[in-house]
Amino acid sequence: MSTWRQFIPEWLSPAVLAVFVAAAAVLHALPYVVALSPYDHNQLTLAFLFIATALAWNWIGGFAGQISFGHAAMFGVGGFAAARALQMQVAPFWVPWLLGGLVAGAYGLAWGHPTLRLRGPYFSIATIGVGEATRLVLTYWQGFTGGASGLALPINAQLKYSLYWYALYFLALVAIASYAIRNSRLGLGLLSIKSDVEAAADVGVPVVFCQDLVLFLSGAVVGVAGGIYASYFSFIEPSDMFGFDRSISFVLMAVIGGVGTVFGPGLGAVVFVLLRQFLIASYPQLYLGLYGLLLVLVVLFEPLGISGLIFRVARRLRPHRGAT
Amino acid sequence: MTLLRVENVSKSFGGLKAVDQVSLELRKGEILGIIGPNGAGKTTLFSIIAGSMPASAGAVFLGERRLSGLRANGVVAAGVVRTHQIVRPFTNLTVLENVTVGAMFGSPSTRRNPRARAHEELAFVGLAERAHHLPAGLTLVARKRLELARALATGPKVLLLDEVIAGVNPVEAIEMTKLIRVIRDQRGISIIMIEHILAALMSVSDRVVVLDYGKKIAEGKPAEVVRDAKVITAYLGEEHAKSNGGIRGPAAENSP
Repeated sequence: MSTWRQFIPEWLSPAVLAVFVAAAAVLHALPYVVALSPYDHNQLTLAFLFIATALAWNWIGGFAGQISFGHAAMFGVGGFAAARALQMQVAPFWVPWLLGGLVAGAYGLAWGHPTLRLRGPYFSIATIGVGEATRLVLTYWQGFTGGASGLALPINAQLKYSLYWYALYFLALVAIASYAIRNSRLGLGLLSIKSDVEAAADVGVPVVFCQDLVLFLSGAVVGVAGGIYASYFSFIEPSDMFGFDRSISFVLMAVIGGVGTVFGPGLGAVVFVLLRQFLIASYPQLYLGLYGLLLVLVVLFEPLGISGLIFRVARRLRPHRGAT
Repeated sequence: MTLLRVENVSKSFGGLKAVDQVSLELRKGEILGIIGPNGAGKTTLFSIIAGSMPASAGAVFLGERRLSGLRANGVVAAGVVRTHQIVRPFTNLTVLENVTVGAMFGSPSTRRNPRARAHEELAFVGLAERAHHLPAGLTLVARKRLELARALATGPKVLLLDEVIAGVNPVEAIEMTKLIRVIRDQRGISIIMIEHILAALMSVSDRVVVLDYGKKIAEGKPAEVVRDAKVITAYLGEEHAKSNGGIRGPAAENSP
């Protein structure tokens, strides 16, 4: 074993590490090298945020197999908590983001602890209820959210421009976390819970703790994303943050990319963001219908989405290697 | 020395008493067999001991420590682990990962280097070359061995085996019986096993407890228990109990 190898964890393959560092370096340098149009800047920054949310959604939805249709609740709660803290202007702007993440994670834990004992469709239905209840309550809670007219945030153009890098670094952290969780004790516990919750408990997996912890982490990440998202637009309002289509979008990204795979949901988020712009511009009346069609095709022909296609190709190329 | 103690445990499902005031003791280094007709409450009793379901009344102790009230993962950490009658591998994980789950989340003393431990357990049950396969590709007997390896990886003091021999062919049954003896003799793990195949159970158990309709109806050495009139009645009906002197292996195998 060469000497440098022992400085990175056993589970981290050098190939993944190389791709990861290269991608981060290219994206970091991009705005310096190419003059990004405001539109491109906008698309890339939002893509970073949505890739991060899709990866974090996947921790609970993919690893633990608990499909949440309520993650907009954490996106919005994190966003509004960050917005209120930003308005006070007493701390550097990343402190409100972290605060928003903590509040969102705690909120996730508060409704997740009682509902995570439900499994499959029952949990999913509960999350729809949580998401909608949160939307309604916070829309009417004018003192906190400013009601339907929303809140304006003190973000200047320079800070807005630099959010590109903040979103990128945030994504890098979330991607590392995804990989680490998948390969950790927690990750293996979650996968066993997904497969058979009772058998997992019977060999010692602390089912309640694992699920609570991962929903907290997932909610916190999505909450931070909500804060950065609101900062980017210097504005936040409930229907955008809490809309049911927001929750659905997290699920869609993961399904398109590959639920339960480590990086698939990120690929799904890229496709989702690109496709949405294209479809909204070209077929504004049809775009939701086309999403539906895409979803049906994925579920029917390749349940692991883009990742499934990649695995197939990889298996063709290297037929003697084991399964994924 | 008593290792595990079940005290007056009962479990009701609505009006049905699945387990009714059952007490039993497992001594250190002992193999205790539990037999009884279908629906006698054997598996329910296991679920209560393992913390999979709470008892309606009574309590379970490991040494001085009360297990009742702990969740299943707490019971495993204390050193008691069960297997399932119908094997329940994690189908999304490889054979090695399945066993690694047990090694990672088992009793705290065994958590170091879980992958190496998982390899050891696979070798112990004879599944080493299947480590990187998915459980779906295994035969029934191999899946039973996997279930066993996963439970052993948790580092138990007490192993609860729910019909690990049933459903395999006679040669495999003998192999499995040997393996169970090795677990006790070489690793010092005390075992409670439920089995329908009486011949196999009788040959390996030090003592046998008989359940019927949730009640303990007999307890003792295997040879004594099979001659007990109550046991014969439970298995074969009253006519049989009056007319002859005991259950013999082959007949018992076919009985309900």
